[in-house]
Amino acid sequence: MTQLWRTPRRGTLRSRLTIALLVALLTALVAAGALAQGKSALIGKLEGPEVVADPTKFPKTFKEAPQLTEQVKAGKLPPVAERIGQDPLVIKPLHEVGRYGGTWRGGFTGPADFWNGFRCCSGPDHLMFWDYTGDKVMPNLARSLEMQDGGRTWLVHLRRGMKWSDGKPFTADDFVFWFEDVYRNKDLVPTPTAAMAINGKQGEIQKVDAQTVRFRFPEPYYMLPDVLAGSTDLAGQWGGYKGMGGFAPAHYLKQFHPKYVGQAELDKKVKEAKFDSWVRMFLFKNDWALNPELPVLSPWKTVTPINTPTWTLERNPYSVFVDTAGNQLPYIDRVVLTLAENLEVLNLRAIAGEYDFQQRHLDLGKLPVFIENQAKGGYKVYLDPGDYGGDMIIKFNLNYDADPEIAKWFNTADFRRALALGIDRDQINETFWLGTGTPSSVVPADSNKYNPGPQYRRMWATLDVRKANEMLDKIGLAKKDTEGYRLRSDGKGRLRIEIMTLGGQFVQFTQISEMIREQWKKIGIDLVVQEVERSLALKRTAANEQQLGAWNNDGSEHLFTFPLHVFPFELAAVASSGPLYVKWFHSAGTQGKEPEPRMRELMDKWKKAFGVPEKERIQLGKEIWKIAAEEVYIIGVIGMGPASMGVRVVKANLGNIPSRQYNSPDGKTPGISRPVTFYWKK
Amino acid sequence: MATLVLPVEEQRVFVASQWQLMWWRFRKHRLAVASAVVVVGFYGLVLGADFLAYADPDASEAQRSLMPPQSIHWFDGRRFSPHVYAVKGARDPQTFKRVYRVDPAEKIPIRFFAEGFEYRFLGLIPTTRHLIGVEPGLDAARTIFVLGTDVQGRDLFSRLMYGTRISLTIGLFGVTASLVLGVVLGGLSGFYGGVTDTLIQRVIEILRSIPTIPLWMGLAAALPREWSVLQVYFAITIIISLLGWTELARVVRGRFLALREEDFVVSARLVGCSEMRTIFVHMVPAFMSHIIAATTLALPAMIISETALSFLGLGLRPPAISWGVLLQQAQNVQTVAISPWLMIPAVPVIVVVMAFNFLGDGLRDAADPY
Amino acid sequence: MLGYIGRRALLAIFTVWAISVLAFVIIQLPPGDYVTSYIAQMASMGSVVTDEEAENLRIQYGLGQPIYVQYYKWVKLIAQGNFGMSMEWRRPVTEVIGERLWLTVVVSVSALFLTWVLALPIGIYSAVRQYSVGDYLATFIGFVGLAVPNFLLALVLLYLGFTLFNAHIGGLFSPDFQDAPWSPARAWDLATHLPIPALILGLAGTAQQIRIMRANLLDELRKPYVVTARSKGLSEARVILKYPVRVALNPFASTIGYTLPYIVSGSIIVSLVLGLPTVGPLLLKALIAQDMFLAGTIVLLLGVMTVIGTLISDVLLVWIDPRIRLEDT
Repeated sequence: MTQLWRTPRRGTLRSRLTIALLVALLTALVAAGALAQGKSALIGKLEGPEVVADPTKFPKTFKEAPQLTEQVKAGKLPPVAERIGQDPLVIKPLHEVGRYGGTWRGGFTGPADFWNGFRCCSGPDHLMFWDYTGDKVMPNLARSLEMQDGGRTWLVHLRRGMKWSDGKPFTADDFVFWFEDVYRNKDLVPTPTAAMAINGKQGEIQKVDAQTVRFRFPEPYYMLPDVLAGSTDLAGQWGGYKGMGGFAPAHYLKQFHPKYVGQAELDKKVKEAKFDSWVRMFLFKNDWALNPELPVLSPWKTVTPINTPTWTLERNPYSVFVDTAGNQLPYIDRVVLTLAENLEVLNLRAIAGEYDFQQRHLDLGKLPVFIENQAKGGYKVYLDPGDYGGDMIIKFNLNYDADPEIAKWFNTADFRRALALGIDRDQINETFWLGTGTPSSVVPADSNKYNPGPQYRRMWATLDVRKANEMLDKIGLAKKDTEGYRLRSDGKGRLRIEIMTLGGQFVQFTQISEMIREQWKKIGIDLVVQEVERSLALKRTAANEQQLGAWNNDGSEHLFTFPLHVFPFELAAVASSGPLYVKWFHSAGTQGKEPEPRMRELMDKWKKAFGVPEKERIQLGKEIWKIAAEEVYIIGVIGMGPASMGVRVVKANLGNIPSRQYNSPDGKTPGISRPVTFYWKK
Repeated sequence: MATLVLPVEEQRVFVASQWQLMWWRFRKHRLAVASAVVVVGFYGLVLGADFLAYADPDASEAQRSLMPPQSIHWFDGRRFSPHVYAVKGARDPQTFKRVYRVDPAEKIPIRFFAEGFEYRFLGLIPTTRHLIGVEPGLDAARTIFVLGTDVQGRDLFSRLMYGTRISLTIGLFGVTASLVLGVVLGGLSGFYGGVTDTLIQRVIEILRSIPTIPLWMGLAAALPREWSVLQVYFAITIIISLLGWTELARVVRGRFLALREEDFVVSARLVGCSEMRTIFVHMVPAFMSHIIAATTLALPAMIISETALSFLGLGLRPPAISWGVLLQQAQNVQTVAISPWLMIPAVPVIVVVMAFNFLGDGLRDAADPY
Repeated sequence: MLGYIGRRALLAIFTVWAISVLAFVIIQLPPGDYVTSYIAQMASMGSVVTDEEAENLRIQYGLGQPIYVQYYKWVKLIAQGNFGMSMEWRRPVTEVIGERLWLTVVVSVSALFLTWVLALPIGIYSAVRQYSVGDYLATFIGFVGLAVPNFLLALVLLYLGFTLFNAHIGGLFSPDFQDAPWSPARAWDLATHLPIPALILGLAGTAQQIRIMRANLLDELRKPYVVTARSKGLSEARVILKYPVRVALNPFASTIGYTLPYIVSGSIIVSLVLGLPTVGPLLLKALIAQDMFLAGTIVLLLGVMTVIGTLISDVLLVWIDPRIRLEDT
């Protein structure tokens, strides 16, 4: 509330003034220090645990959680060394070796929130995975990956003695089963995935021996390691719910497959279990979040499934993860996620300290309330800005054809650039990101390997009303009406464009668009803001009815595994740069509409990158971003902000917590910080 | 011969018309009378929304984000000179809250009937005069914040004025539609009875059995996309009224059933009046008062529905401004914890709903015996 | 009498069928289907659903079929006592609704109870002391409940509960008791969580009941038998309570039928804000996700409850008041 300062008596005025000056100086110093630290004390230094790759440094003896020791004594479990196998996945904890015990409480929003569990508790169980910087690909569940034949063949070497959570061995058979009986079964997987293909041609998986799997492709597929590391269809058992993953527990799933059980027998089972079809039953049984009986490789496994009010996960006794002292991970025994009926309740629970580590669904706008209650709730607040250029972006639908006048302008580069120059990003950053974002074009963070260079950060991404007006005048929109809005060049009155937004998201798209509407008044553009329901947005976008779409481009920092927000890649998108281009891209030119030359260039480079060695790919990536920044198919507003799953609340006595994490869907944040190493200090 | 001569006032009772009797009874219910005044006042506000607002309701400014209400100081020393102090603010890097400090050295006088942003009074007369404002050269949007600002730095008081206008007018259309449907269908049902009656009653029952929210959602989502936000909402109020007429229809039907057998109706028919004439000239006025009362009570329900719809994201949406929109923007933890003044729009909602309810009650009490 | 009941029952069945059709149509009205909603939901959480996956899902859920085929499928299932599978929850609809349904009833009944406890005395007082200050004050309090936007009130109370009392946020159970089997301790836990939801939900209905009570009682108090009773020397309290109040309560019987479904659907928003595990928020989410069988079943359920309630009310009314019987036949 407002404070009234009364003018003190003259005698004490001078001393008070001095004190005030000193305080101001001190505050300035502290603030400067905080700024130097990266905008705020809430944003730490990027850090994380490391995977120990050198086998000579592996621990020789192993220890386990006390309750598991009890079970071994009772004869219910084999000894720990046998459960882990000969090739443990050794992780050096970030700060120190931890202790066993405790429960990790979190919140989730319903059965559609399975990514919540994938991110925190699945290991991650990718064959390969990123280091904590999100940059380097390293072996994860696979012991090593070997390239042969110029990139056409890749050998995956598995860890010897590695077992599923029910004790059965994890071998190449699980890969072959998946490939032959799941992936190639047209009922289970009607449409193959692009992850298993290079240049449109599908590859295949073969068994070499029990510990070795061969991925063979008709052409060089240099990107495969990245694909195996990122959150793609080949990345791990969590993808089982859609019939993907690269491998699956053959010994368990065979009983639900007609090839092994016979259709009649299977139909009986389906009827008893009340499923619609064997396909639905099979996918249910292979669902990491839904089926507690499914054997898994992740450090925790589902005990009470996601479609109940409490999603509980408990430690997997056969976990292959260990720390440098030989302790079998995870330290924490259980993860309990409770259902929150709506986001306000979830956030309020986090504020009240009812969660131990929560990174998902927390609202940046509530940051002051989180900070205020740190002491009371016993937690600490962290911010993990993403590395992608656009916490908020605006896409031009280049294919919009319902109004030829608007179509003309959307396809004029200078029009797009002028509109980009008309946005006051500092205002938006201050109001909605509380100053924690970065005004930016769409290009990813400077540390990202595909970043084309610092000069692209603010390219066409500054506030320059004068220049914007000049550009718009020059391209033929110089005439304005009595209220200052530009008139259409076809004489049909005021030029009015529409932006479609979704309500209820992490980022306040509608409110931000309202602000932009006010800002664009100064450059004579009349913007209509239309907030729609989610399904409606999808339908309109796919039907080419969207003009401008507001969204974010998270994931685009991993340009090749998440291209959706770089160029039109999927029809099923909330905002699209061109549904007809999507069709053209996926049909190899037979359907849809051919993109304009620079967009085509961008698409070609992207396709090419999968089949060339890394150095060349990085160069291609930079060129792609260059085109994106220059052509402004998508306007970048605020980037590298923590709005999308970047607000983290962690209990003060949880150990091995990094001060800053790489925030990315590919990194399955917080998976990239290896939650197996989190533990309760007490 | 001395006949009993009553005082003049009491004599008037015998010759007074139906409406006059109603008015006299109504006057007795003091709360209802007070509510009537309040309602009239609010509708006056509707007309003068632009005049009362002093800042452009869409003018956003990040540096004014989340300002608390400003105190108006009425006296400068001994002189009557309303003024406010200049306010400056910044975001505290530790707490991330916006912190504002008042500068008592800088006084900004408030003027009445000052010049401000341009608008059209009653939609016709372009003018720049507002009830309050500041000196020319200064911008009211940057200086006066009677009820504080929202997260985008927009003045809440001005937004509230515009919100009042929309919230109070849109409900009227829906209520009218309800009224027409209720009287017509209820009348048909009661007058003709038999099959018509049964059919209409069943329809009513079906409509009442369906939970309103799914109906709202389904119908709202099915509306064409080209419609502006206001048009969509207009359509939605009609939809709400399509459900709301059932109550009125039942009342009307009941009344018709009772009145059908009354002497004056029978005699009207015997004299040769057509059915139409019988209904509209003779029967309807008999329960007009009930209809008025029911309509008055339907309006607050309309207003509450609007706020509920906006909460669900189905009603009016930004950039439109209504009470529902303002409340929806206040419906979050950070408002309750840190910027509670954003909940002030709930006050006019409460006041108006209660006023309409008392008014309707008073009307119904007054209409009852007649 | 029996004939009347029989006819009404027959009509009720027809109404229920009509509701089922209408429910299905309404749920299908929003564009898109479960898969589009699912994709959008994924997009909101930062995940991508490829076009291939979307297509696969559509095929598996049979969403490409025309609406009457899907309706027919559903009706067939219902005839077998099976309400279908919820696409979002991947469980049978009956399981998903299961515990929530009777929790909803508990909450609604508590709200109803609170309403009556508040409304009846105020209504009686209001009628007896018409136009007095007490009358105004009492009705004022009653009406505040109607006028306050209850979702805002719910949020404020939730926050205050946390800041002032360190109360657990929302829900009807403490985390320990959420999944525990039933026990006196769990029942007590539920009871301690009920006051706030019951209060917020009950407040809105209070005004209406006050009004009805007041109006009915006023009508009764003007009747000759009251004057007679008073002149005979009965105390004021007996005069009012013994007969008029009981007669005035009669119309309440007719409204019971509507109150339960009214409270259930009227409480959707408040339940959502308070995070109550009741049917309301479930319905809302099912509608948004276009989870057909789940949404359809809940709407049907509410409809059936209303119809049965109406039937009971009508029969009760006819039984109590013979005059109405004459009117209707």
